Amino acid sequence: MNRSNLIRWGRKNLFRTPVDGLITLIVSGTGACIAESFVRWAAVSAHWSVVIENLRVFMVGTYPAELTGHAWWAGVLLCLVFVLSGAAIFARKPTEESSQTFHLARRLLPWGSALALVATVMLLSPNVMERWGGLLMSVLFTLLASALSLPLGIALALGRRSRYASARCICSGYIEVMRSLPLILVVYCIWIIVPLLAPTNPGPDLLRGLLGFTLFFAAYVAEYVRSGLQSIPLGQVEAAQSLGMSARQVNFQIVLPQALRVAIPGLVGNVLDIFNTVPLLFIIGMTDFLRAGQMILVNPQSGNRTYEIYTFMFAVYLAVASLITYTARRLEDRMSRGRQ
Amino acid sequence: MDHLAISIPSHVRARPKRRRARSAYIIRQGLIIAAALILLVVFAAAVRAGLARNGIGFDLGFLLRQANFEISEGVLPTWEGWRQFSSNDSNGQALLVGFFNTVKVSAVAIALSTLLGVLWGVARVSRNWLLRQASFLVVEFVRNTPLLIQLVFWYFAVALKMPALTEASSHLGALFSQQGIFLPWIVVSESTSVLSASALILSILLLAAAGRFRRPRRRLLALAGLFAAGSLAHGLPLSVSIPRADGMLVSDGLSLSPEFAALVAALTVYTAAFIAEIVRGAILALPRGQWEAAAALGFGTRTTFNEIVIPQVLRMVLPSFANQYISLVKSTSLGIAIGYSDLFNVYGTVANQSGRSLEGILIAMSSYLVLSWLVSAITNAANRRLLRAGGQR
Repeated sequence: MNRSNLIRWGRKNLFRTPVDGLITLIVSGTGACIAESFVRWAAVSAHWSVVIENLRVFMVGTYPAELTGHAWWAGVLLCLVFVLSGAAIFARKPTEESSQTFHLARRLLPWGSALALVATVMLLSPNVMERWGGLLMSVLFTLLASALSLPLGIALALGRRSRYASARCICSGYIEVMRSLPLILVVYCIWIIVPLLAPTNPGPDLLRGLLGFTLFFAAYVAEYVRSGLQSIPLGQVEAAQSLGMSARQVNFQIVLPQALRVAIPGLVGNVLDIFNTVPLLFIIGMTDFLRAGQMILVNPQSGNRTYEIYTFMFAVYLAVASLITYTARRLEDRMSRGRQ
Repeated sequence: MDHLAISIPSHVRARPKRRRARSAYIIRQGLIIAAALILLVVFAAAVRAGLARNGIGFDLGFLLRQANFEISEGVLPTWEGWRQFSSNDSNGQALLVGFFNTVKVSAVAIALSTLLGVLWGVARVSRNWLLRQASFLVVEFVRNTPLLIQLVFWYFAVALKMPALTEASSHLGALFSQQGIFLPWIVVSESTSVLSASALILSILLLAAAGRFRRPRRRLLALAGLFAAGSLAHGLPLSVSIPRADGMLVSDGLSLSPEFAALVAALTVYTAAFIAEIVRGAILALPRGQWEAAAALGFGTRTTFNEIVIPQVLRMVLPSFANQYISLVKSTSLGIAIGYSDLFNVYGTVANQSGRSLEGILIAMSSYLVLSWLVSAITNAANRRLLRAGGQR
């Protein structure tokens, strides 16, 4: 019975027509061939020791060796933030008794995360900011850029819907121009302009890069927030106005909280975009995760292990991206459930 | 007392208030503009002061000065035609070469990614379970890893790991080597006469017309065949030039540098994955009833696809394609990571040589702006045409 079901399924989904059968054979043949050679390479001829030996470089890049302890603590702190936020986001709806602490915890979470982020930055000691690197820098940079571009993006989105035509023009002009420029150019441009404005102390490359990323991604955040704003029915604004609320109250108490809820999946996707574009920081000489890997490749001792290093890097990027995508999907599910 | 206030006709009281509100609005409007202008002026003045401190002013004269560097790949458009860029040319001409390299790689990658993306999107909704799952896996992999790591992988781990030219084997006439990829290419033969060339062009035009107009199709096809035969009889106007390796030199064929090939491959695969998702979404968005109606009318799968699904899907996806094309054009600036001489890369060299980073980056930025707007203008025009064509049918 079971077997005949399997055969029926196979006939329907794999061998419906002769062409279909041919496709199945070709795909399974190539797939098996690739999988077989990859597994054989990974298990037999690959030397994974190169990854383990250079794990420090992958994780912290050029960070001073004597400060490795600080990097460990920073990593622990970041992991703690991730676990706690994950718990707060995905926790089940609380029961009546525990709901008060739950809501308190949830309200404290953004502040707690911000505090932890600042603590991480202090822990890694800003004096050696020039030498931050590796996966730790990539993750920290992503968090900082996402956090900083959010307020600017919200301001731009609100400005784009302002009552004042001039503010509308300026904001939409900024958004459109930023969205038609390559990120790498924006980052580089900011990097060369800042020393002109502050010749005595242009600040570390990391902060200049952060400024470029913030200015660039604020335009994208603004578009996500705008789509959220558009989803709020006009009746709500009118109702709030008729209750005598001022424009500011309407925006910050009625429209924005709801709009941001709608925009959250897009904003989480934006975090993934930021993480995936952090490697562009190579243009201002910073050592992120990808560049750390390339540094290892240049090292003659591990020069021949190209594929091991790339496989490891692809795996890490894929793991982080899957985590973020999973979070976005869960949030989306949750929100659609909340609305029903 | 309140209800009394309300009972007064509103226009009587509201008018002075509205006028006041209006003038306040205009004043605030002016304040916003003034603030923006002041900010801009202060910013420009600060930048100018910074430049002056470094002993340079804002000056575009460097564009006319001699470049003094070579560009590994790239031809310069001049009034007499295309020629190789040399170090005697000016900085402005160098930037022009970079601009054309950017346009070249964008155009090729856009064409290839559309082709691959549409096929891939169709594979994503295929009835074949295995094909569907396999294409899903690859799409997810490509979409969820940074473009830059894909690009450096294509360059350092694929293009540069190919055999050296002396050991490269030929596949279907194409040579794949570390020094580049050499493909067979159609060229106009030297012995072409005007008569045979024009006959060939005429036959291609007739073929295109046959594709467009339905009724006299058979007659048009016959005419096209006749002209093609005539052109062949009068000496072959086109021939296939197959690359031949002779030591480290390759003659004939179309040669692509490893940088160009890696950039095109990375951009094509990356963009195609996004296009595949767009196409898949559009196909799934079609009501199921259309498939059922087509089946009820006795249409086969292929006819349904070509005549019913594709025309509607194309109309749906073109605006989304435009976004992908724009981000592709912007992503060509990553070419600097592997040393492809695109606009940004050439700008870097020019800025290094002349010390004019700020002027150069403004030029580069405006070029990318123009390119982005050009792509969106072209796709908008195509979209409008497509919608109009749909309305006529």
